[in-house]
Amino acid sequence: MPLLELQNLRKYFATQKAVDDISLSIEKGQIFGLLGPNGAGKTTLIRMITGIFYPDEGTILFDGKKFDPLHDIAHIGYMPEERGLYKKMKIGEQTLYLAQLKGLGKTEATQKIKQWFIKFDMESWWNKKVEDLSKGMQQKLQFVITVLHQPKLIILDEPFSGLDPVNANLIKDEIYNLAKNGATIIFSTHRMEQVEEICDHIALVSKGKKILDGTVNGIKQEFKENLYKIRFDEKVLPEHLAIHLFEVKSRSEYEVVIKRDPGFTNNDILAYFMNRKLPINSFNEILPSLNDIFIRQVEGTPTARQFQEVQ
Amino acid sequence: MNKIILIIKREYLTRVRKRTFIISTLLFPLLYLGLIFGTGYIASKATSNLNIAIIDSSGYFDSGKIARENAADSSAIFTLVNESPASLRSNLSKSKYNGFIVIPANLDWNKDNSKLLTLYTSRTIGMDAAKPAQSKLNRIWNTVKNEKLGIDDSKKAILENNIISIRPNNVNDTKANSETASVMGYVCGFMIYLIMLLYGSQVMMGVMEEKTSRIAEVIVSSVRPFQLMLGKIVGIGGVALTQFLLWIGFMFLIYNVTKASGNASAVSGVLGGVQKLFGSIDIPLIIFCFIFYLLGGFFFYSSLYAAIGSAVNEDMREAQSLSFPITIIIIFAITLMSAVIKDPSSPLAVWGSIIPFTSPIIMMARIPFGVPGTVPWWQLGVSMITLILGFIFTTWFAGKIYRTGILMYGKKPSWKEMIKWAFRKN
Repeated sequence: MPLLELQNLRKYFATQKAVDDISLSIEKGQIFGLLGPNGAGKTTLIRMITGIFYPDEGTILFDGKKFDPLHDIAHIGYMPEERGLYKKMKIGEQTLYLAQLKGLGKTEATQKIKQWFIKFDMESWWNKKVEDLSKGMQQKLQFVITVLHQPKLIILDEPFSGLDPVNANLIKDEIYNLAKNGATIIFSTHRMEQVEEICDHIALVSKGKKILDGTVNGIKQEFKENLYKIRFDEKVLPEHLAIHLFEVKSRSEYEVVIKRDPGFTNNDILAYFMNRKLPINSFNEILPSLNDIFIRQVEGTPTARQFQEVQ
Repeated sequence: MNKIILIIKREYLTRVRKRTFIISTLLFPLLYLGLIFGTGYIASKATSNLNIAIIDSSGYFDSGKIARENAADSSAIFTLVNESPASLRSNLSKSKYNGFIVIPANLDWNKDNSKLLTLYTSRTIGMDAAKPAQSKLNRIWNTVKNEKLGIDDSKKAILENNIISIRPNNVNDTKANSETASVMGYVCGFMIYLIMLLYGSQVMMGVMEEKTSRIAEVIVSSVRPFQLMLGKIVGIGGVALTQFLLWIGFMFLIYNVTKASGNASAVSGVLGGVQKLFGSIDIPLIIFCFIFYLLGGFFFYSSLYAAIGSAVNEDMREAQSLSFPITIIIIFAITLMSAVIKDPSSPLAVWGSIIPFTSPIIMMARIPFGVPGTVPWWQLGVSMITLILGFIFTTWFAGKIYRTGILMYGKKPSWKEMIKWAFRKN
């Protein structure tokens, strides 16, 4: 059963169809990548999931029931893209306050905060103020605050921005850990290499509409262009490549990238080269990167979203 | 509900524990007392006594009369001199006199003498500084006239001291003392004015802080925006009330300490006056009404300030320009107050104390004049109900604006846009 199901969500603002008929289904324990260019409607979508906005139309099902912001937000942890903490408030006190607002009791919250602070090497921060922390340290603190109340659904908007590789890995490991323990994670970002690495499942949103949805691998298969890279042990000569089985995309001394003609199979190509007595070192399929797919899908849309009339 | 209490607690504690709160709580009464006594002291020291030479050609002003007046009043010292005006004029700067007056020979005791004498001075002085000299000269002149008319000292005492004065007394409320009521009304109205302005803008700054530090988005994913706004307003209202009660507490503490040490100092004198004043009016009613109108007015206005804080970005100037209309209304109420205190039963006063925009200040200025003598019970009731309805409306209205504004970044909205937010469906 999916933990979160969005059915035909719509949210129109005065000058923008921010979210225009989006449906999504996110399974329990999944790490779900929500992608899209700036202004695509990701934040609006997330704000509806976190109960900050009400959708104009459509339904949200949370854990099988109709989403009830008043109660269900206790099971959601949200880390907005723009981090926010009280600058002048002591860190321990602040973390405790935010945890209590999520519905944790004082002793339970204190105990959990201590555990996390030990885990992340933050024990000495308790009586410091947020303004004393570096940006990366604030980020770690914000992450702890987001996951402290053991939410079923964790929404992270660009969780790695501003983190050094060591701390980024720390957070990444923690994300895996949380997912392994049953939490569902929605991960919103523009950084495609992170999505490929972390997410099982993605959806691409552009101009308020969902344009792609599926597993990372499935989407790559869907968008592949039958490109292959063949490496030879001998130099390739132009006459080796004059054949209707494929089209040469690029060529170097020992390597070619070809696009296979759809009428033929990989074996046809291998057989051809074997017949020409050209020793093959390796034969690999080139799958498009998510980055390529992303750019191709949103290409043609202006870099900045235009205002539109909403009737 | 539990979450609102958490928010109130945080808003309250973070402010009360701040050093600025403790300092301002302690310092304000001291500064206030300092202001009262300081200005009095400065005023008494600032005007130096004038030393004035009198050149008399009329023969009315003899040295005996002048000496007698000099002994009675030293605010200006007269000396009869026998010099020519021209030589005194040229040597005035070097002489020991600040100025001189020439009494012309044609001054006549039983004629119209409204024509001006001139006080020639070595430096420019204002009319106020010349006053002591003028009244002294007139007292001597009166003595001259009395002598001519044959009025002796006992008759003179009858003329001067036997004065009729009137005191307003409301037949519906014979206990009312309009003088103490005026003072009390003024103090109450002014306190509410101060607290509404100071703490109202604190609410605005608090909301702006949450918006610009972007914590608002984290918090509204845990609580409703309305809860966050209400929690902040109630918490800060609690701070205002605490500060006010502490001030009252200090006053009685100082009063009792000075009384116990048997020291009839100026402070206990003032407080003694305060206590005498308390005898003539209904203290429990006033305290109850004061707290009611303080909190009512605070809620009424601070929710509007919260709405503004949520609508603007970090720019303080944006906030100021947007809150200007509201601040103007509060200032208008305080200007209205002096007219109301002069005539606390006028239609202006009645309407001003019923419309919730001005009622916290205006009604509090009227109540010391007496309930039900000056303020009938029905007016008090209507005023309280409209204020409650008023702040329910402003909180609702502000909540709508707040909900949209707190997550909206970019251009500063106009009041028109904000009103549109308020009446839009979710």
